[in-house]
Amino acid sequence: MAIRASRGDVGAFRHLVREHSGLVYRVALRILGIQDAQDASQEAWIRAWRNIENFRGDSAFSTWLYRITVNTCLSVRRKESRRREREYSGDELPFLPEPRGGDADPEAASLGAQRREELLGALDHVRAEHRAALVLRHMEGLSYAEIAQILEVPDGTAKGWVSRGRAAMLVALARDENDHRETTT
Amino acid sequence: MMPSGDQRWEILEKVGAYAANELEGEEAREVERLMFERPDYRRLAESYTRMLVMLNTLGNEPVEVPDDAVGYAVRRAYVSAFMRSAEVLIRDLGRSYLDAFVYYLGLRRESYGGGI
Repeated sequence: MAIRASRGDVGAFRHLVREHSGLVYRVALRILGIQDAQDASQEAWIRAWRNIENFRGDSAFSTWLYRITVNTCLSVRRKESRRREREYSGDELPFLPEPRGGDADPEAASLGAQRREELLGALDHVRAEHRAALVLRHMEGLSYAEIAQILEVPDGTAKGWVSRGRAAMLVALARDENDHRETTT
Repeated sequence: MMPSGDQRWEILEKVGAYAANELEGEEAREVERLMFERPDYRRLAESYTRMLVMLNTLGNEPVEVPDDAVGYAVRRAYVSAFMRSAEVLIRDLGRSYLDAFVYYLGLRRESYGGGI
């Protein structure tokens, strides 16, 4: 289908859009947040159509599409003023409070609206490249080789970005939790 | 002795990699030793595990794609394909007219079988 679309077949392209729209929107939503996700996913598909004649099938179509989506999201982020990243002084380690029900209450089951907002808020404090790497690794479940291919960086850099993103996210999340607890007590 | 800020960040990343099951052999053993000696590092690993579970859960939640996010791109593709075809048609038509005009003025002799 992708090869047909690369030859200018709009019907095949429409099929690809229907099939992969979830991937593009989901990644844009995780990297940019809900206010920019729709515009970014439209832009990603427009870029995909413009460049699809260069798609030769050397990599999976989804990898190629991930790359276009992530690049679109990163360029949206670069246009914005630099976001405030939570700094880590190193004075204290970032901890998350125990879940109320202890280990028998795994947060894996479902996330409440508040918890989801806290997570997305904390993600917002992670540098764009690190956030993209973190999303691809821990939310999309991709391997480091795939992440490196998508972000067009060496494997070691992809690993480093995920690691830094993970740490920065925990720092931001722990701080948000502490701030929240201070305001409620 | 308390580790410096850079060392703390390094430990923070190492414990994160351990919680994500990305360390093997000696590196994993080193983090396990640290966690055995320092309960706060153990707590840090638990915090990481909790965060990673939440991220994974969020990643697995179904996302509803707004119709506009899809429809607009497809419409643009159709318009661009139409414009591309129209451009080719107009170009070919223009070339044909030009050829006919040149022939009409007698500026070019008719060719037979590829040779002049």
